[in-house]
Formats: sequence, C-alpha cells, structure tokens
Amino acid sequence: MSFLTPAFFIGLLAIGIPILIHLTQKEKKTIVDFPSLMFLRRIPYTSVRRRSIRDLWLLLLRVAALLLMVLAFSRPWFSAGSLAAKLPGSTRDVVILLDRSASMGYGDRWARAQAEARQVAAGLRGDDRGTLVLFGSNAEEHVRATADRVRLSQAIDAAKVGAEATRFAPALRLAQSILAQSARPRREVVLISDFQKIGWAKQEDIHLPEGATLTPVSVGGGNTSDVGVTTVTFARNQFSGQDRVVATAGVANRSAKPVADVPVSLEIDGHVVDTKTVSLAPNGTSPVTFAEFTVADENVRGRITAGGAGGAGGAGDAWPADNSFFFVLSPGRPVRVLIVQPDQADRDASLYLATALGIGEAPKFDVETIAASKLTGAALDKRAVVILNDTSALPAGAADALTRFVERGGGVLVGAAANAKWSGSEQTALMPGVLGAPVDRPTGRVGALGYLDYSHPVFEVFRTPRAGSFSGVHFFRYRTLDPKANRVLARFDDGGAAMVERKIGGGHVIAWTTSLDGSWNDLAVKPAFLPFVRQVAVFLSAFQNADAWQIAGRALDVTSKVQAAPVGAVGGVVSTPSGERVSLTDNGRPAFVELGEQGFYTVRLSGARDAARPLTVAVNIDPAETDLTAVDPQEFVAKVTGRADGANAGKEQALADITPADAERRQGIWWYLLLLGAGVLVLESWLANRLSKGPGIMQSPQV
Amino acid sequence: MATSSALPGARFVDPAVLARIGRLDLLARTVVDGFINGLHRAPYFGASIDFAEHRGYVPGDDIRRVDWKVFGRTDRFYIKQYDADTNTNFSVLLDVSTSMSFGSGPLTKLEYASYLAACMGYMAQAQRDRVGIITFDREIVAHVPPSAKHFNVLLHTLDRARPGRPGDFCPPVKKAAEFFKRRGFVAIISDLYEDPEQILEAVKPLHHLGNDLLIFHVLDKAELEFTYTDASRFRDLETDEELPVVPESLTPEYRRLMAAHIEALRSRFSDNRIDYTVVDTSKPLDEALFRYLATREKMSRVR
Repeated sequence: MSFLTPAFFIGLLAIGIPILIHLTQKEKKTIVDFPSLMFLRRIPYTSVRRRSIRDLWLLLLRVAALLLMVLAFSRPWFSAGSLAAKLPGSTRDVVILLDRSASMGYGDRWARAQAEARQVAAGLRGDDRGTLVLFGSNAEEHVRATADRVRLSQAIDAAKVGAEATRFAPALRLAQSILAQSARPRREVVLISDFQKIGWAKQEDIHLPEGATLTPVSVGGGNTSDVGVTTVTFARNQFSGQDRVVATAGVANRSAKPVADVPVSLEIDGHVVDTKTVSLAPNGTSPVTFAEFTVADENVRGRITAGGAGGAGGAGDAWPADNSFFFVLSPGRPVRVLIVQPDQADRDASLYLATALGIGEAPKFDVETIAASKLTGAALDKRAVVILNDTSALPAGAADALTRFVERGGGVLVGAAANAKWSGSEQTALMPGVLGAPVDRPTGRVGALGYLDYSHPVFEVFRTPRAGSFSGVHFFRYRTLDPKANRVLARFDDGGAAMVERKIGGGHVIAWTTSLDGSWNDLAVKPAFLPFVRQVAVFLSAFQNADAWQIAGRALDVTSKVQAAPVGAVGGVVSTPSGERVSLTDNGRPAFVELGEQGFYTVRLSGARDAARPLTVAVNIDPAETDLTAVDPQEFVAKVTGRADGANAGKEQALADITPADAERRQGIWWYLLLLGAGVLVLESWLANRLSKGPGIMQSPQV
Repeated sequence: MATSSALPGARFVDPAVLARIGRLDLLARTVVDGFINGLHRAPYFGASIDFAEHRGYVPGDDIRRVDWKVFGRTDRFYIKQYDADTNTNFSVLLDVSTSMSFGSGPLTKLEYASYLAACMGYMAQAQRDRVGIITFDREIVAHVPPSAKHFNVLLHTLDRARPGRPGDFCPPVKKAAEFFKRRGFVAIISDLYEDPEQILEAVKPLHHLGNDLLIFHVLDKAELEFTYTDASRFRDLETDEELPVVPESLTPEYRRLMAAHIEALRSRFSDNRIDYTVVDTSKPLDEALFRYLATREKMSRVR
C-alpha cells in the first residue's frame, strides 16, 4: 500500500492538540459556590492540582477522527500485488526457481532453501499454480504448473543438491518461457538461491513477461568458512618407457581466518600415495606438490583430498563437497605421422616438417619418413596422419590404401610442388580438386596469402592479433588447383587456391598447393610455420586431449571417446558416482552422458578392447563454483530486470495498464475512511455534549 | 408525578413538584395526606391517635372515659386512655445559615428542610401536639414557642426563613436548650458542617432535658457524591473563601472524608440514643417522614 498524497501526513501533528487540551485542566472562569470547603481544605494541594489526561474516551475519539481524516486525505493506494491478492478470481502462476548448485551444499543452505520453497508452495491458494524448476548450470522443469501443493512439496523434499555450477540465466529463461505461456493475471518468479556472484554474466539478456514479478529469496550471505581443492595440474616425463607424473594441487582457503596444517593427500586407484600438510592465509591459496608416481595403465583413477574425514578445515568447514578433486590419467600416446617423400629426394627434403612436428608435447608426434615407393597399406597401420610431401607417382594400390585409411578416420596432407604428379583416378579418389600447372609470380612481385578461413580449426589459432601472421610469407610459385566443390581454406592474393580440404568418410585430405619446404616459398622459415604444421596435423589426426577431469553439468559425448580410442560401435552401460547404471543405446547417433555428479563415471562400451579398465571420466565441481562471494539479491534483481526499483519487473507497465475503474477501486478506500472519520466525529460530539451536561458544570442555584 | 420508590406502598412525591406547589400548608397537607393514605398497608403503621391502654379510675377523671364494657365484666372502673390524648411539644430547630442555600437540583437544602419541617409540623398539629420552631445560623434568628395554635406561625416562619449569615451550629443550639422547659420532641434540621464531637456536645443539653431528638442531616447530592469534573475555583458559601480545585483527582478523597464525617456523626448519636438521619435532597420527603413516624412509634411503645 502506498499513498498518493503523503504530504497530508503532516496533519498528524494535529493529534497533539487534543492531547494537550485533555492534559490541560482549564479552570473555568465561573466560580462554583459550595456549602463548605471544610473537607476540600483537608486534601493536599498537590493532589488537587495534579494533572493527567481526563476524558480518555473523548480524547481517543478525537485522535481517531483526526487519524482517519489524515489517512483519508493522504489517499491510500493499493499496489497491484496487494490488491490483486484480495480480488476474487485473481489466480497466480508461480515459478519456483530452486538453486541446487554445488554451493547450496554449504552449511544449512539447502535445508533453508527447501524450507523457503515449501513455504512458497504452501502459500498457493485456490487455483494458483506452481512450477518447480531446479537449476545449477542447467535448468530443469521438475513439476510443471500444478495446483497440487502436496505434489510440489514432495518434489521439493525429493530434490537434492547437485555438483553443477550456478548459472541463473538458463533458469530465468525457462521461467520466462513458462510465464509467457500463462494467461493468469498474476505471474511470479520466486528465485531461491545463495546468489553467487559467478552465476550471472552481465551480457545475459532476460526479459520476464510484462507484469511478472521476480522475488529473490536469499539463503546465502554471511561469513564463509571453507577449504577446498580447486585444481590439479600434472607434469609428465618419460622414464624407462613409462609416464611419470607429478601432480600439483591448488588448495584454497575461502574464509577470513587462517588455517594451519591442513592435510592434503593424493590417492591413486584408491591407495594413498602421498600426504602433505599446508597452511593457508585468510582467503589465500597454496600449491601442494606430491611425490612422483607412475601411470602405467589406462584410466588410472586419482583423487586429492584436503583434510581428513572431517573435512578440510576441520569442524569449521561447512562445505565438504569441494574437499576432494578427482582425475583420471592414462599414459601419454603420441600421434603417429608418416611423411612420404619422393624417392629421389634427398634426406633433408622433409627436415622442416619433421622438425616442426617433433617439437612440443601436447600432442606429441611420432614422425617417420619413408620414400613414396615404400608406401603400402601396412605402412599406414597405426598411423594417424600421412603427409605426402611433393610425391610423384604413388605405388600401385597405395592410392586405394590411402583412401581406405582416410575413410577410417585418418588424415592426409598433400604438399603439391614440382614433383607432384597424380593420375586422374588418383585425383578423383583422393585429391580435393584437380591439380594444374605451376604458376610463377612475376619477378619482383612475390605472392602472398590473400584469404584465410579463420573458422577452420587449422587457422582458428591465428584469428586473434599477434597470434602469428602469414602476411610476411612470400610465395614464389604454386600449383593451380581447381577445388570444385571442396572447401577452400586459403587463397593466394591472385585468387588461386592455396589450401583445399576434402572430407572422405571419417577422415580429411588437405591439399597445399605449394611446397612444404623452402623451395617455392619461405614459409618454412617464418614463425607461423611451426603452429601451422602442428595445427594441420592435429586436425587431420582428430586428436583430442584426454581431459583428466570434466566439469559437472556438462554432457559427455561417448561417441567421440570411442573414436579417440578406436573401437567398434557405441553401446554399453554407464555407472554414475552414486552407483546408478544408465544404458547407452546404439542408434547411430551420438550417445551423451550427462555428468551431473561429482566423482567417477565408468563407461563400459560394448566391443571395447580393454574391458578390464573401462573408460573412466572424472567429474569435479566447477572451480568457479567454489567462489562463494554473493551478490546482493536486490542488486541482482535490478540487474536482471534492468530496473533499479527492485523486484517488480513489470510494475510500470502494470500501472500503465490499470483501467480507470481499477484505479478508482485501488484508491477508493479514502471515501470510507472519511465517512468513518465523520462518524467518529458525530460520536465525539454526542459524548462531549453528554459530558458537558454532567455535574461537572453544575451551577449553584440562585439564592 | 409518581414514580417508583424504594419504600413499599409509599407514594412518591418529587421535591420538584413540591417546589411548584409553593404554599407550605397546602404542601404539607398534600405530602402528608398522600403519605399516610399510602401507609395503610404498611406493617408498622403507628397508633398515634388510637387506643393505648386502660388505667384505673381516679376521682376527677371524666366519667365519659370510663370503659363500661370492662366495668360490666370486672365490676371495676377503668379509664380508656388514647394516644391522641397524649399531646406533646414538637419543636423544629432549623439551620438557616448560608450553606443551607446550596442546591444542585431544583430545591435548595433550606427549601427542602422547610418542607420537611412543615410536614412534620402538620402531622404533629393533626394529633394536637404543640408545634414550635427555632431558626438559627450563628445565633438564633427566630423563636416560635410550642403551642397548639402555632402551626400557622410555624409555616409563616418557615416561609420567611432566608439564609443570610454564616452559620455556627453549637452556640445557637446550646442557647435553644434554654427555651425548652418541658420535655418534648425536637427535630434538628441542619447540614452539620461542624466537628462531630462539638455537634454532640451542642445537642446533649437538649437530650438531657428529656427531649427526644431527631437529627436530620440535610445534604445535597453534589455534596454527597461530588460529581464535579471541571477544574474551577470553589467558593465557600459561608466564608467566601475561594479554592482552586481539580475535581478529577479530588473526588475520591472528598467522598471518603464525607463518608467518614457521616459515620462519625452516626456513631456518636447512636451511642447517645439520638436518632440520626441523612437526608438527600434529591430524594422524596417520604424517607425523612418515615424516620419521623418510626421515632414517634418508638416513643409510644416505651411510654
């Protein structure tokens, strides 16, 4: 309720007047004759003169009349919400957004959030409908628009805290779509969360339907006390043909008090291999490096735990979920690359290529160079990439073997320079176009790359400024290539195709229409050469970093895992950290596993070669989620709604939509207040008249 | 005008109606006739003019009073003695000080007291008692000795009574005792604004002379209950002294003092076998008259 003319409240000062009058014992001018003052003289003078409020009822009536009139003239105005709540037939559509992100497991936040949600559900009346949306990084409609409050409460009770990070936008968008479909007069969103600052990105654009309100209910805030493991990094080296790994964990203290001697332990396959202690400053982090260990098998499970069973910070640690960090390690597997060069070429013909590929660790390339005449199907076995470095004619059957290799997912890079001679059938089978004659640039005018497809993975890393430039590369000669329908990744400044990609089956063939050494261009001596070659090899090998862990809330494409470790068809069973078993269907489409829990997911694929150590995925809480810094709920609502005046997103619009009859109904109470005030005044007059006729003004009769 | 009364069978006569009647003789007749007619059904109606007792004939007695029926049965002469034959002096001592001029209703205390005196005089005169009156303030104002023919003089004196001077109860009452040579019936009507002990001392001489005393303490309702509300200056009607008063806080204390004063008077008079009655001028005369007749009845019984 608000007031249209609140200035009238200054009239409340007038209440002091009757109080003053009733306190003042005014002596009447007339003198009262009395037979004898014999008794009056005996009463102490002070008690005779004592002042107190007299005629209390009369005073109350006068004050009430003044109050009512001041209230009437200040014109009370009932807001849409409060009035609508009292209007018959005004039903609500309430969307309860309940945050179940990992941080809600801190202390008693989840219990409080559930209690708040139950309270909102219990507040639904009559035909009001409630929708329960549980959200973390994704939002899920749990109970759809129902008037069944018991069902809502049961769903709230059954909900559990997840391991996902906080993201408000998906939940708000879902609420937006739900309310957009509602035709009810009152639409409300109740957001119950700890309002983590990391949950809202400024650019997110949410538009709740007009008239809808967003009510924040915060269960967070206050001082936090938490120690957790936020990240783990690994340093690998080879020793006796085995991977030796040194793990370094980042341990963070999220409280304003220092903590000392927190034990941090490293477990490998369930056995503690090392334990360190660490002391942390208030809101500080510290790295903990463990002893080296060997990764001999695939999918070795690792876990770093801060603190003992009681949690990282001991009794003061209110959030045990972030005390453990899970990871999975496998021995490093190099990408095997075969460089094929002309038979007559000297030994250094592929020096630049081999050198460029031999540098770097992620991924590590295992390069072998052979002469074109030795290219056979067997040579392609266990290769991921084949580079045909200006080869002349391929041996019989080599083209078919290469085609099959590419169809299975292999990659071929063709460097076409002076020696490259392809028959028509070979070109048709493998080449991304038809090679033509060499083109010489006029003397004094070297060629350059005029176009690069930065959307392609090969050139994506060169998109940003200072990321390596091809502008300084000089091209003196190149082969023409009619790309036909294939994708052109780069063109020379005269429009000729410099790089063309062709997809065959599960693999790719890329043709580079100039030399891969320094004979037709100077790319090999330019800084861009190294990343360029490695990017091409990575793309062609379809190499994917085997992540040591995944972030909760993401979906894992099992199909890609299958391709990375070439096995048969997709199908099998996934075991979640909580022990639930989920079947994967083999329907030819990518099979996704939703990673909603913290811990190890085990994927047992049908047809997998190593059934003893199945594919394992470690899932952790998003490190950003461990930042418990909260944003002020009202400030959050202002950000979401874009209004500084708080929760009512559509308040102004709602006011604009008010009909005259509705407006009159909302402020018409002042009439009743005025009438009531007048009634009180009549009563006051009657009482005052009655009192004035009493013995108090009794006059002595004339003698 | 008749309304309900606390006394069974008594006709209520409102003092306001009496005030409009004006003439005291008519007033007394109206009140008393109505009052007595109404009392016929009363269980303790007095026998003031009825047969009282027999006594033996002694020479000199009027033989017309010989009860011949008793003589026929006992062969002895007995004289029938009637109360009507036992006339006595009835005197009223009426306070006419300025305090008696107070009245919050239609009647002042003096007017009410006058009506009361007139009524009692009328009843006394009706049974052939001798009636007299003494009015006083700080001294005796008028003195009408008791006589069978003085009823009209009594009414005339009452009619002329005006509150003129401040009162002083004791001196004139003590002085009045000197006028009573013969025992009789004395009604003192006053507002008794005096120390109870001194009042008792003042009336004792009258009591010691053998008079039956009946004291009417005439008070206005405003004096009894002090129902004032507005802060005002109160002026003493006798001394003209003024006092600022806030009645709101004073009323309970005043009522307590007034009740204590009445109780003290009642206690002292009771100890001395003096009849004492508080008369509220807002109430009918009946109560006071009942008290008068009850006292007369007691006198007849103890005779």
